[in-house]
Amino acid sequence: MIHFDNISLQIHGQILLEQAHLQIAEGDHVVIRAPSGSGKSSLLKLAVGALPMSGGSVRVHDLELSDQTVAEIRSRIGFIGQEPTLGAENVKDALLLPFTFKVHQHNKPAEELIFQTLELLHLERSILDKPSKRISGGEKQRIAIARALLLNKTIFLADEITSALDPASKAAVITALFRPEITLLSVSHDPDWINACGRIVEINKHKLTEAAP
Amino acid sequence: MIVEMDIISTVSMYALLLIPIGIFIWLQMGLVKETILSALRMTVQLFLVGLYLKYVFQLNNGFVNLGWVIIMMVAANSSVLGKSGLKRKLFFWRTLIGISVSTFIVSGWFVLVAIRPDPFYDARYMVPIIGMILGNCQRSNVLSLERFYSGIRNNEQEFMTYLMLGATLSEAIRPYLRTALKSCVNPSIATMATMGIVSLPGMMTGQILGGAMPMAAIKYQIGIMLCIFAAMVIAAVVNILLSLRVAFDEYQRLRPNIFQ
Repeated sequence: MIHFDNISLQIHGQILLEQAHLQIAEGDHVVIRAPSGSGKSSLLKLAVGALPMSGGSVRVHDLELSDQTVAEIRSRIGFIGQEPTLGAENVKDALLLPFTFKVHQHNKPAEELIFQTLELLHLERSILDKPSKRISGGEKQRIAIARALLLNKTIFLADEITSALDPASKAAVITALFRPEITLLSVSHDPDWINACGRIVEINKHKLTEAAP
Repeated sequence: MIVEMDIISTVSMYALLLIPIGIFIWLQMGLVKETILSALRMTVQLFLVGLYLKYVFQLNNGFVNLGWVIIMMVAANSSVLGKSGLKRKLFFWRTLIGISVSTFIVSGWFVLVAIRPDPFYDARYMVPIIGMILGNCQRSNVLSLERFYSGIRNNEQEFMTYLMLGATLSEAIRPYLRTALKSCVNPSIATMATMGIVSLPGMMTGQILGGAMPMAAIKYQIGIMLCIFAAMVIAAVVNILLSLRVAFDEYQRLRPNIFQ
């Protein structure tokens, strides 16, 4: 499903990853556990071509990441950052933002589906009318997750997405994402999240290694 | 006919400089040298241009006129890139095309459709009209490029979010293109709205001083204002669109090395 082969990554002259490998199968829920600054978030960014690799290759499904395939790969992956940017003035526009782009234009979700997705993530319907600036960090994280769910993605890259959530909201997010049809590569320090993941990967001496759950 | 200023009366105008220079000395601002040097530069440049234009007007040859216009465009382009914070080497040809296309379209419309001088390349019309368009668009050209690229650089996470959500490059840049265009046209919209009340425009004043009837001068002024406005928008959009290829890499990431 996602293959990192021989990946090398340097940022500002500092080596973060060197000839690292990681294979993620369909339905795997993987968390990367490593100290800050070791390249966890950068690995997620590599997969969607948001950071330049120093060497190696990334494959998602049958597509090898290149300038020809990057748009297709991005359209298949739901990428959610730690402090997601909503990219629109109010929450409803932010939620529907991807459907203003040509690639998703014809898949605009029905209102009922939007309400169900909000409910699934413990969000009130009234949040749709709020200005994006006025909602909390935790709400922002869940709106970004809702947006990816509405896009019907089955591959998620999630970078510390429960960091601003209360226990009930966190449980709701875990229920929404840890499903057999979803493949998940995540970065987290949260014990509940790590427990929910079937695989734990660590970064040791610039390599990606499996750790016991 | 205009009252000609002789050399003594021209020199007498420099006496006015004594007041600001006196104030600079009093406030110990240290701008005296710069002021004198700039005034001297202006004098030399304008005399040389005056001399040159005298021959250009006498010769009135289409190719010479075009040559002079190209020199003006290259100079305007260099100045725009220098002030926009972008690397001159990377963008030079692309912004030169943007500036030339916009200037030729609007000045061509003004000269060929509205004024229709004979010959159509008459230096008396072509040179000052293109000069006014270039001069007045310079600030907006700088502003649009600077706002566009700094907008993306300062909101890189937001820009990447658009890409991650499936936007193509042209969809992802649209919010920044809108902001850049607004920042360059808003002052002009305000200027047009107050023209004649708050400001008496330079071209009109020049023509009236040159002996034209106010109503004739006004028509030219309206023409030139509309030209400037259209040129501004065309140049801003063409400059930005043509620069995308050098500014973004094959993964649509903004290249960090495009800034000075």
